[in-house]
Amino acid sequence: MLIAENVRKVYRVKEKKGWFRQQWTEVEAVADLSFRMVPGKIIGLLGINGAGKTTTIKMCSTLLTPTSGTITVDGYDAVKDDRFVKAKVNMIAGGERMLYWRLTGRENLQYFGSLYGLQGQALRDRIDSLLLQVGLYEAANTPVERYSKGMKQRLQIARGLINDPHYLFLDEPTLGLDAPIARQLRKHVSELASQHGKAILLTSHYIHEVEELCDEVYIIDKGRLVAHDTPEHLTKSLHLDTALQVVIPSLSDSLDYDLRQLALDYGGSREIAETDEQTWEVTLRGKTDMTTPLLSLLAAHQSPVLRLSTQQPSLEDVILHMADRRGA
Amino acid sequence: MFHVAKATFIRNTRVMIRAYPWSFVIGHIFSGVYTVLFAFFAYHYVFAGQLDENFAHFTDSSDYLSYAILGGAFYAFAVSTLMNVSRSLITELREGTLEAVLLTPSLRRGYFLGNVAQQLMRTLFEFSVIVFVGALFGLTLSHTNVWSAVLVWILSTGAFFCQALVLGSLMLWFRDTYITQNTLFAVMAFVSGVTFPIPYLPEWLQPLGLIMPLAPALDAFRQCVIQGAPLHAVSPQLFHMAALSLVYLVIGVWGIRKMEKRVMESIFG
Amino acid sequence: MKQLGSLLLAEIIKEHRHSFHSKMIYFSLLVWPVINFVTAYYSFAPFRMGADSPLARFISYEQLPLFLLTGYLGYIFYWCLVQSSWQMSFERQAGTMEMIFISPVNRFAFLYGRSLSSLIEGVWLFFCFALLALFFVDGIQLSGWWAPPLAFLILLVSAIVWGGFLCVLFLFSRDASFLYTVLDEPMLIFSGVRLPPMAFPVWAKVISFCFPLTYALQLIRELLMEGASLQAMLPSMGLLAAVLLVLVTATVVLLRQAEKHMKKTGNMVMY
Repeated sequence: MLIAENVRKVYRVKEKKGWFRQQWTEVEAVADLSFRMVPGKIIGLLGINGAGKTTTIKMCSTLLTPTSGTITVDGYDAVKDDRFVKAKVNMIAGGERMLYWRLTGRENLQYFGSLYGLQGQALRDRIDSLLLQVGLYEAANTPVERYSKGMKQRLQIARGLINDPHYLFLDEPTLGLDAPIARQLRKHVSELASQHGKAILLTSHYIHEVEELCDEVYIIDKGRLVAHDTPEHLTKSLHLDTALQVVIPSLSDSLDYDLRQLALDYGGSREIAETDEQTWEVTLRGKTDMTTPLLSLLAAHQSPVLRLSTQQPSLEDVILHMADRRGA
Repeated sequence: MFHVAKATFIRNTRVMIRAYPWSFVIGHIFSGVYTVLFAFFAYHYVFAGQLDENFAHFTDSSDYLSYAILGGAFYAFAVSTLMNVSRSLITELREGTLEAVLLTPSLRRGYFLGNVAQQLMRTLFEFSVIVFVGALFGLTLSHTNVWSAVLVWILSTGAFFCQALVLGSLMLWFRDTYITQNTLFAVMAFVSGVTFPIPYLPEWLQPLGLIMPLAPALDAFRQCVIQGAPLHAVSPQLFHMAALSLVYLVIGVWGIRKMEKRVMESIFG
Repeated sequence: MKQLGSLLLAEIIKEHRHSFHSKMIYFSLLVWPVINFVTAYYSFAPFRMGADSPLARFISYEQLPLFLLTGYLGYIFYWCLVQSSWQMSFERQAGTMEMIFISPVNRFAFLYGRSLSSLIEGVWLFFCFALLALFFVDGIQLSGWWAPPLAFLILLVSAIVWGGFLCVLFLFSRDASFLYTVLDEPMLIFSGVRLPPMAFPVWAKVISFCFPLTYALQLIRELLMEGASLQAMLPSMGLLAAVLLVLVTATVVLLRQAEKHMKKTGNMVMY
């Protein structure tokens, strides 16, 4: 298990003021953050205001030293026993960094594998299986500079898995990828957790990605944890409105009145709009589900229903709501 | 450690074969050859072979051409080693691969060892070309004590490597290679006895030469090549070099470690 | 003509904003040349000096510092431009190069504007060096009050032409630092920066006379060290003008070729 306790990171930033004068200012990127990573589970890290997601990942992967607080990996301290921890973790970042462009895909994996102490047949087997896994087997002997973005990203994944890490950090892994490739990647990540038992920490700008993949979500604002729960609980706990939408061919005055009354009874609101096809679109918003009373009301008015849909609040709504509340 | 060194060696060789740094190699060879040419022109055509009386006294030899040509060749060798090693980490930083390397539990010692071993091939090639050209222009190799010369050359690589660690941390500190390296190289060429014996310098400048491993290394190498001195005859220079190497090694290892941390913070800060 | 002027000005301002702030200028145009100059001076220490030194066949012993000073001065002028052209290859990598070729800018205004602007950055150094020369170095023998300004003009014009030529080369070559090695360092040896080319054997003289700096330096030394009359300098001036003309022609032809090549292959890289 990876346990982060009260982790804090402060950067000292130098500001130039003229030729020789400079001033140091302190910026708190992560404040008092605690979380744990468990095998087989994916946790998501979502930020509201430029929060220290990347900083958190770099601290977990031993690249950065926390200003205070501790991170332990299977009981080993990430600062003191960093070599032990390094062997157990790996990181995959979005974009096209972290690969040697002049080397081929296979040569990249050979080099990084060697840095993890792998060698000989074991390394060769591992590379072959990883290349197959990420679908780069055919392109293995092509220099990385000739790879497409998606291929580089997949090679990054292979590099991130070269040491068979127990803990994997994914920093915006789908950044700038085409939709089908991103979807394939998400599937892959989900399998890594469910089938290979990896503990995964994921950050992403794409909230639906986090919603789809993560078992738990940590929401941080300016480096501080503001919410932590499963995606479903998060959306429910905020009691955001469910939107119920119905399309009907005509709207009588009495129906209009009854609809307004219905919304008032349930403490919600009602919107009516005429569509281009000469039909009416009624939207009822409220904390409680109004589907049954709405349907009986429409039946009472003998109004046909052309379309009916409900919109549950999404994680994105949660984030936007929180951002609004916090004055983003 | 050797495992990492080997992997780094192979990686660098592959990169080198695919994108050969011809400009650096040719640059080093050319600047060595220019020093040879300068010495040759100045000695034969401008000064008609007439030397200052103090020269023989300072160098225990009146073979100016061998003196200057070896200076040029050895200087090019020092510059090349210093550049190849010191630029390695900052190049990783620029190409975005530094994090990937630092993520691994590999030892930095192995990484640098691989680097220096790989670049030995290049420097050896450069050095041989310059010496060969030098031989055409009046470098005398007939008295050379080959084994002690080779040994001094190898020990010098070690000394330059240690100095390169310090230079490498300075580069990471300033986030610059161009100004840092060229300033050091300009000073080195001035104070280390490359084209003229150090005693010609004003006295207050002479101590600067003492902190450059190039000065004792070059002194020892010249004695072995020009006068055929055996290894024990140049032991003071070798001790001087060893002491400097130790100091640079300690500062360099500390500096690189410190800078790695600093660099990681400033990327994301 | 007016348009050309404003283009030149725009390019100068851009260059100034872009690079003058960097400390690089101070190192590459002041610190390194000074160290190199001193090293060059001491490199003569192993040789026999004095009035009866064989050196006196070419330069008098007292004038050696001045000889080196003028040599390095000319060299810095040219070096300014090498450095600025070298930056051109970064511009190409950054993609701003295409923008320039998309715009209707007169390419020659661009080239020479670039050269001129980087020279302006270096001009203050000219005065530092000139002052140094006046106060600390013996052996100055001016042709007249007009000699320093004329020397300045000669350096300026010849360096700009050289810079424009280099820009084109750097612009279209894959490995710019290679060209830099081949074109820049030989100048130090062959152009008479450190040694009088007159002392060279024939084959070296032939190389010497490929560099415009050789002619420029010769003129400048005639102006500042020998006090030669204008009439006596006419042949050297004619030579310099001819060499510059050849360079300008080469620049124009190369640029046309390169742009054509680029339009055909979509690739800036020619060599």
